[in-house]
Amino acid sequence: MKTIPVKFEAEGKWISAKIGVDETTINLPEPINTTILIKSIDDVQQKKNIITISVEENIYRIATVPKALVILKRVILMGCSGYRLRAYFMSPAIRGGVMVNDAEWEKGAITVLKTGIWFVSQNHQICIPVADVAAIEQTQREVQGTEKEVVKIDHVETGDVSTSFVLCPPTTLKVLYNYLTDATKGISLEGELDPLSSQVAMLVYSGMDTHSIEGMLEKSPRDIEAIYDRMLGLGLVEVVQTRREVKLTTKGVRFVTEAVKPPTL
Amino acid sequence: MGRILVVDDTLFMRTLLKNILFSGNHDIVGEAEDGEDAVEKYSSLQPDLVTMDIVMPKKNGIEALKEIMAINPKARVIMCTAVGQEQMVKLAIKTGAKGYIVKPFQAPKVIEEINNVLKS
Repeated sequence: MKTIPVKFEAEGKWISAKIGVDETTINLPEPINTTILIKSIDDVQQKKNIITISVEENIYRIATVPKALVILKRVILMGCSGYRLRAYFMSPAIRGGVMVNDAEWEKGAITVLKTGIWFVSQNHQICIPVADVAAIEQTQREVQGTEKEVVKIDHVETGDVSTSFVLCPPTTLKVLYNYLTDATKGISLEGELDPLSSQVAMLVYSGMDTHSIEGMLEKSPRDIEAIYDRMLGLGLVEVVQTRREVKLTTKGVRFVTEAVKPPTL
Repeated sequence: MGRILVVDDTLFMRTLLKNILFSGNHDIVGEAEDGEDAVEKYSSLQPDLVTMDIVMPKKNGIEALKEIMAINPKARVIMCTAVGQEQMVKLAIKTGAKGYIVKPFQAPKVIEEINNVLKS
């Protein structure tokens, strides 16, 4: 059993301690004094150097240095109760529509948990939060000169839309696709967008502001507002800023009139 | 800042690309809606860079790229493609394309890629 120096949360305080970790258990000392069976862990989340482990109703928070965190996460992700299979992954492969230059296939595993899809390889542990998944698709991609079936995951990553790929044997790929589709079913689109609204969605995706969208599609602010309302109703967008249209009062007109007068000598 | 020729068979995509490039302080010197038009405009306008759609009528993006590379072997052409067209992209890169962007795309990343190719 390895011992890892950590801080863990107990009774609202952070306790410095050494915890014991092996392939099947994590031992948390006093005051929690608990042995967590790794196979009973049903979710893991990470924020900076803190991981939150869920075992049914129980939540454990552990903070440690990055190197130790990598070891701890690896043990958990390879042994926990999530759906897991050996696979090759490329994450991210595309960011904002531009291929990531040094993207390459990594051999490892994919673990699907309640809140995240984790890719684990020798060098990387990458989490795509389920809430950030925009689309799951089974598609073809060229791998070493031959067309292979892959699962494509579109996800939002620090404001950028990114795409990752998973490659595994055809027999398990369909199972993975179905599992991921099920795990992310909250993102499926209920209702359809007409072609104009789809164009607006594409322009928002590309980073265009409302004024540009009105100009590009030659539509009035009212038309675009109506489309935004539909998209808001479908949960496709959120309001980040409300702009106001104003007109000058008499006082304002007087100010402008005065401002353009030549200076008196 | 570069002088750019935008090639795409849909007005919507051309307008979107033009807006993105304009916001990146680039000049749009022309636009073409098929491969044939692209080659003609490349010869007459001699842009610093071309954004080239792959699937187009009359002459596709790969054929147009070949002809542009024959006119100017140092031409900078960035292919615009949809996911799943990797085979076409590979062919385009072999033919001389300097980069490619995947639809749908986000403005800052496109500008970054275009600036990188212009610097090269």
